[in-house]
Amino acid sequence: MTAVPLLFVALFVLQKLIDARTRTEAQAEEELLLSSPSAIKKMSLGYDGLLADVYWTRAVQYYGTRLGEHRQTYNLLWPLLDITTTLDPKIIPVYHFGAIFLAEPVVGANRPDLALKLVKRGVAANPTVWGLYSDLGFLYYWHFRDYKDAAAAYLAGSETPQGPAWMKIMAARMNQKLGSIDTSLMIWSQIYNSHTDPNIRKLALKTLRGLKAQKDEQTIEGLADQYRQRFGHYPASMAALREAGYVRGVPVDPDGYPYVLGPDGKASLDPHSTVIIPKVPTTPPPPPVN
Amino acid sequence: MSAMPGVVAINTFREAVRDRVLYNLVFFALLMIGAAIIMGQISIGIERLVIVNLGLSAISIFGLVMAIFIGVGLVYKEIEKRTLYSLLAKPIRRWEFLVGKYAGLVLTLVINTAFMTLGLAAALLVVGRPFAHGDGSILIAIYFILLSLALVTAIAIFFSCFSSPMLSTLFTLGIYITGIFAGDIRNFGALTKNFFLKGATSVLYYLVPNFHNFNSIAAAAHGEAIPLALIWQNTLYALMYIALLLVASSAVFSRRNLK
Repeated sequence: MTAVPLLFVALFVLQKLIDARTRTEAQAEEELLLSSPSAIKKMSLGYDGLLADVYWTRAVQYYGTRLGEHRQTYNLLWPLLDITTTLDPKIIPVYHFGAIFLAEPVVGANRPDLALKLVKRGVAANPTVWGLYSDLGFLYYWHFRDYKDAAAAYLAGSETPQGPAWMKIMAARMNQKLGSIDTSLMIWSQIYNSHTDPNIRKLALKTLRGLKAQKDEQTIEGLADQYRQRFGHYPASMAALREAGYVRGVPVDPDGYPYVLGPDGKASLDPHSTVIIPKVPTTPPPPPVN
Repeated sequence: MSAMPGVVAINTFREAVRDRVLYNLVFFALLMIGAAIIMGQISIGIERLVIVNLGLSAISIFGLVMAIFIGVGLVYKEIEKRTLYSLLAKPIRRWEFLVGKYAGLVLTLVINTAFMTLGLAAALLVVGRPFAHGDGSILIAIYFILLSLALVTAIAIFFSCFSSPMLSTLFTLGIYITGIFAGDIRNFGALTKNFFLKGATSVLYYLVPNFHNFNSIAAAAHGEAIPLALIWQNTLYALMYIALLLVASSAVFSRRNLK
């Protein structure tokens, strides 16, 4: 009987040696044994729903591991999501969360084109789910600055059986090309409230804090302009603006640091602040994939 | 009709219990408890979906393994152990023995499935989702699984009447897998544009039992309504196929020389 644990230890050592000789675990992680979604669906022998759950869990784990280790390659993310949605096109969380995993530049694969492809697939398979139109509208607006398609997506979502009224407002704003901070705040608040994943909520909160700071800066700069019109020059500091009665107290960012007002009337964050103003794409985005 | 098939059925069920066949329920329970605890931690937004998918798939797979591996040995074992001879010396006809054996295994599968259904319901409660209107489709999906298991049992018994357990297992599995791909086989024939191949695959499509009919796991997992017409159509389809197989099995078994 004492030989049994010894044999197990020997087997463990032997397997380690075999692993070292064949391929590394990291390489194995980067491969999919089967990459054809339709072939996997056929081979599932009718248990495609269960297999879809397995692939989605694998996608979540893959994303989570990379996010934790700050690895910037997400090569398997799209194939995993592709397989999941082919196996079961009705798992809504896959489109909802998968779009964020794929689209986000810092905490994701930075592939908004694939995110759009994923969500469009979700809308085609689940045309009555308003949340998917909301995701589609967000992608068009935030990543592509495509107001026309964003408006169409929000309007279509508002017309679904349970489509909320705010989607009509979003459609109207998009039609007026109101790519304003208020619109962004509204969309990111919706993302924050509708997601349960802590990573996505953290991202939404971070973006909301940045947008709030951006809005505050715009307000301060507007007041500085009014000051200049009255006194002929920009205020030297926030204190000058306050002394002239344009602001009450000391305006602070979401971190609690006071905003800094430059001699050119431009407001900025305190160097110690951790708030990050969201970067709006300045170059035209790649065309969406149909 | 005599009460003999009923007596054989009860004894077949007792034998299954004695053979600790229902121990698979312990494994099922552990699987459900494990899934209910783990899935919330490692996945996002699909806790209930996983429980339903896993529960229904496990009910189907466990039942399938039981139906095939016990089914193929039902008749063979009696011949091997020579207990069949003492049985047939009693006032029981061969077809009655066969139908009794079949009913006994189906009864075992029904009771096994009933306990698994309770396990699935408990797991759904554990993940904190109260039963909703759409959950009725889960019960219909389980009923369809039972129909498919009853059909698989009939196929296994048919082969066990004239073949060894090993070959019967292969034949039954082969027909089950062909039955799942029946639609694909017909589509493949249609794509070839070959008249004979098209005809042959169409014949095969209607000949083999179409197990795809009984798969409504995905619909149940998403709480979608299953058309009521499908319930009676699937029931009738399974009953007719089972009757056909049991008649064929009885014919083969009655003609078999047991000396």
